[in-house]
Amino acid sequence: MTKYLFFTGKGGVGKTSIACATAIGLADAGKNILLISTDPASNLQDVFNQPLNGNGTTITEVPNLTVVNLDPEEAAAKYKESVVAPFRGKLPESVIQNMEEQLSGSCTVEIAAFNEFSDFITDKAKQKEYDHIIFDTAPTGHTLRMLQLPSAWSTFISESTHGASCLGQLSGLEARKEIYKQAVQSLADGQATRLVLVSRPEVSALKEAARSSQELQLLGIQNQLLIINGLLQQFDENDEVSKQIQNRQQSALMSTPQVLNEYPVYSVPLRSYNLSNISNIRQLLTEDNLSGTKDYQPLKDEKSLDDLINDLYSSGKKVVFTMGKGGVGKTTIATNIALGLRKRGAKVHLTTTDPANHLNYDFVIKAGITVSKIDETVVLEAYKNEVRAKARENNMSAADMEYIEEDLRSPCTQEIAVFKAFADIVEKADNEIVVIDTAPTGHTLLLLDATESYHKEVERTQGEVSGAVAHLLPRLRNSQETEVVVVTLPEATPVFEAERLQLDLQRAGIHNKWWVVNSCLSLTHTQNPFLQAKAQSELTWIEKVKQLSNRNTALIEWKDI
Amino acid sequence: MKTIEIFEEAMCCPTGLCGPSINPDLLRISAVLDTLKRKGVNISRHNLKDEPQLYVSNKTVNDFLMKYGVEGLPITLVDGEIVVSKTYPTTKQLSEWTGVNLNFIPVK
Repeated sequence: MTKYLFFTGKGGVGKTSIACATAIGLADAGKNILLISTDPASNLQDVFNQPLNGNGTTITEVPNLTVVNLDPEEAAAKYKESVVAPFRGKLPESVIQNMEEQLSGSCTVEIAAFNEFSDFITDKAKQKEYDHIIFDTAPTGHTLRMLQLPSAWSTFISESTHGASCLGQLSGLEARKEIYKQAVQSLADGQATRLVLVSRPEVSALKEAARSSQELQLLGIQNQLLIINGLLQQFDENDEVSKQIQNRQQSALMSTPQVLNEYPVYSVPLRSYNLSNISNIRQLLTEDNLSGTKDYQPLKDEKSLDDLINDLYSSGKKVVFTMGKGGVGKTTIATNIALGLRKRGAKVHLTTTDPANHLNYDFVIKAGITVSKIDETVVLEAYKNEVRAKARENNMSAADMEYIEEDLRSPCTQEIAVFKAFADIVEKADNEIVVIDTAPTGHTLLLLDATESYHKEVERTQGEVSGAVAHLLPRLRNSQETEVVVVTLPEATPVFEAERLQLDLQRAGIHNKWWVVNSCLSLTHTQNPFLQAKAQSELTWIEKVKQLSNRNTALIEWKDI
Repeated sequence: MKTIEIFEEAMCCPTGLCGPSINPDLLRISAVLDTLKRKGVNISRHNLKDEPQLYVSNKTVNDFLMKYGVEGLPITLVDGEIVVSKTYPTTKQLSEWTGVNLNFIPVK
């Protein structure tokens, strides 16, 4: 087994649980283990039931296990303070604020995150101290960006003729070049590192795993293996729901993308209990003690998606977002909300920003809904072209253009481009309802963060600001016209994550009334004791959501789709 | 030869072009300065975010900032004296100071 283990996969597939189970399992077997979480929505604190930090905490209940929780936001804040602090009092307050504002961008967050991450993978002392170092990484997009950064940066730093653009975020980046280089080498070294792709027996999760597998392969990370989490083992052919789950899982596995079949594949069974504490995690890889559930009754008289749509329609909302972690069904729910509003006679536009989206929209278009897609690569190219055209108006020489191209390669350019596309679409809400399924959590928050700093920037910039952009944030904050529907699943992790998302929304001044709990087994009439137990374990989380949402909770039944 | 220094406010990247909107004046100044640099003119550009120390150690700049705050930026120094503040120098000014013909860039 390799020194370093990385767990990656779409959000909500159970990376954290499996990384924890692996770490606890190895620690119980007497190995010295370091578990590092780089997930911005990390919930390790909930699992270990003790506060964690970025320096390492030994776990009381698990001897030999040390857990590090890296919070990229916090790391960025620390970095910002270290840059600004020496100048307090030496420069006027307005100048300090200007510095702080520019150091608040998402570039800074990502760079700070990677910075910490690279420390752990290159630390020789830690390498000796621990038998294995396990990384429970962030959702796919974020992970990929983070892992892609070093090679991008290495070339960037050495080839840049004009100084390191946005990457100048870290003063003294050059000094850390060697550390980053080592981090990349360790990642691509099959003797040192193994990448564990975590997926569920679902078509979209498998496709996503294949995509990240390939991308990481291109970065030289060849030593991979696949874990299918949540495989139904207690198949009951007399139960309709059990049969549907079994069929859906098997047909998804049959269509596993070829690229994944090249790797060793392991599976972890579907469990009836929640993986929210150490003793349950210890059981994850071993057993399922089914405590009988008598008198199972499906939930009744719950609010449905229809109630939610009625409320959106009658309150005259103009912008509707579905928000939540990847894999909770945001895209499907956004689509159903759009269809429902259309059915009630509204003019509707549906937008998807989810890069992993594979929906076929013919049906939606036939219902009379206009559809658009925000594709990061496409909008980025459009933004670049806009800048290039402006540059040509100024009669710039080829060499000057090269200079500008350099800055257009910076990561913030991409976010700004996506944001602009977003603003243009929301602008349309003047005459139709726009329904937007946002990208996975971390990304979504970065977008909203960008909205915030963008708004501040708009007020003082001398540049040319499109009306759409200037109008956006106040509209997002107006609860009369905007609703953010938080989507989650009746399980521990998704609910905790959605709760944090709600807090972040509130901090950003954005209104949220409705929550949707998707895929509830507890609404089905299953006769199977295992699934009944699983349905029973959902109730805690459904109740928690009802409290968080002031009972504006719409439940959606588990469906064979 | 004259030495030209421009002290700018904190910008995301050295040109500010990756910022939230396209500022034509930044585009112009980036192009002009790069041309001048290639012609061997002694010209430098400082971003508050990357080199805050310079804004403290350069007494002229520091005094000016203490008086006018961030609104005073950008500041242009020619041989250590403040010649332009609150805005970028025009292409014509830069051409006059350096003796380099910049006619190919639309004059502002």
